Amino acid sequence: MLTVLSNYLESIRDNLRLDQSSEKAVIQELETHIEDEVEELRESGLSEEEAADTCLTLLGSAKMVARQIYEAHSQGSWTQALLAATPHILFGLLFALNWWQGVGWLLGMLALILIMAVYGWWRGKPAWLFPWLGYSLLPVVAAALLLLYLPEGWSWVAILVYLPLAFWLLYAITVQTIKRDWLYTSLMLLPLPTIFGWFVAIEPVNQLPEHWLQRMQDFAPWIGLTFLALGVTVATFIRARKRWLRMSVLVVSGLITLTMVAYYAEGKLSIPAFLILMVVMLLVLLSPALVERTLKHSG
Amino acid sequence: MARKNELIKGSIDYLLLCVIAQQPMYGYQIIKELESRSQGYFKFKEGTLYPALHRLEKSGLTLGEWQTLPNGRQRRYYHITEKGLNILVARRGQWLEFITAMNLIIQPVDR
Repeated sequence: MLTVLSNYLESIRDNLRLDQSSEKAVIQELETHIEDEVEELRESGLSEEEAADTCLTLLGSAKMVARQIYEAHSQGSWTQALLAATPHILFGLLFALNWWQGVGWLLGMLALILIMAVYGWWRGKPAWLFPWLGYSLLPVVAAALLLLYLPEGWSWVAILVYLPLAFWLLYAITVQTIKRDWLYTSLMLLPLPTIFGWFVAIEPVNQLPEHWLQRMQDFAPWIGLTFLALGVTVATFIRARKRWLRMSVLVVSGLITLTMVAYYAEGKLSIPAFLILMVVMLLVLLSPALVERTLKHSG
Repeated sequence: MARKNELIKGSIDYLLLCVIAQQPMYGYQIIKELESRSQGYFKFKEGTLYPALHRLEKSGLTLGEWQTLPNGRQRRYYHITEKGLNILVARRGQWLEFITAMNLIIQPVDR
């Protein structure tokens, strides 16, 4: 096949953002189409280059074809939407129903999240996996926060050993998900700004556990509500076909949940803190697009 | 030209179902069939065919199956499903009514 045709197929592959098996099938189908068309054009008397150019003109822009094929495949079923929303709903219920204080509930949920994350990864990273994957990284972040409570001296050792390992793990998983589609990385990171917002509102640093446990108890129904809102967001995301709509759903939901955090935290979040959270949220949700671009350019 | 493309775009799903209902076909064959049966009228950007075919398959109206030819080349043939046939029958009636009504309006009136 001529380079110009291979480049065309490569450009479609770059912009498809489908799972590996669908991507392979689409490229194979288009490749056969191109071979048939070029063969027929050559039989009509055109040179190989002329046949290739005519074929590409008839096919149309690679980006447009890839976008339209993406939209034909992107919409998940209602079952997939529910499956993707489940970790947010469970997390929301954990607080709304005050299960968060029960070790059994926490361990059960952690086990379920890990099982679903491993299962989804093994099944070729379907769209519903990414919210589960996001929550499966929470224990890594939570363990880092617990380092703050270690006796002085020990915390430095733990930070030097633990943090590089934790960052490496987060980086490796993030890069892998970006390779699938950066929007899924944003979907995975979606609860982070909300968790961070509640963390700031509860003020656990330099406070006795009784203080922040009481604050968590006070905020629990509202924490639950924000995560249920994220569940609705994720279900909408999975059902949307167009990329711009998916991106908008994530950003708008981030803004709404952070506003809810600020509102229910009863003034504990000042306006500057709220604005910083907004910037963090936009960075978290949109930076995967920049990382993807960098990864592509670096080969 | 743009208006013609809009008309084709709006009816592409129905056109594809009509062609596939006759016999299972692969993408390139469908394009050639549409072009020949419409005497060259239905000519569109070929790249738009595959999104439409995949959309029909996702909706359960068609089913794509890979077949290996004697020369080793693989082709994806699209079959119409029971659901697709039902939709086709319903839409065919609507189209015929629409065309009849359009003809009644378009034809010059003898006064």
